[in-house]
Amino acid sequence: MKTIEIIISPGSESRVETKGFAGSACRDASRFLELALGKATSESLTAEFHEAYTHDQNHLEQEK
Amino acid sequence: MSHIVTVETEIRDAAALNSACRRLGLSLPTHETAQVFSGEATGYCVRLPDWRYPVVCDTESGRIRFDNFEGRWGAQRELDRLMQAYACERAKLEARRNGHTVTEQPLADGSIKLTVHVGELHEDD
Repeated sequence: MKTIEIIISPGSESRVETKGFAGSACRDASRFLELALGKATSESLTAEFHEAYTHDQNHLEQEK
Repeated sequence: MSHIVTVETEIRDAAALNSACRRLGLSLPTHETAQVFSGEATGYCVRLPDWRYPVVCDTESGRIRFDNFEGRWGAQRELDRLMQAYACERAKLEARRNGHTVTEQPLADGSIKLTVHVGELHEDD
């Protein structure tokens, strides 16, 4: 299941986290919410993102 | 989990601001030029409980103008609640506009957790 979790603290800060997306698709999936809420101040990519990205790259290399 | 973004809230949507005020039991904001301590400001004016001056939200720039004299003229927690309620309502409106369902859950530390179920068309909230 693909979900986007938003933790909204009292005050001006929110944390947007994508779950269940493949590779870099997570960035596109949550962008509309980030833009709606305000200004992104930091971004971190998790281990899952890097693993998926590496997997995609390996797959592309094999297809060449 | 694959991607985490921290966002600083900017008030740019009058409809979400209305919803936030309704949610907090505040009077709906009016667009006007209001007096604040250091002069005048124009935008959507929100009257927070026991605040001397309104919070003026400029939805064009996303900036808010207020003067609570470091808490002496109005408790910071009231503004924090407004900003939180706005972000919550804005995210819910935007998610639904994009055809997603949203569930809301209060957390023990005072935060609000929204879960956006991507690709589901039926609203349950």
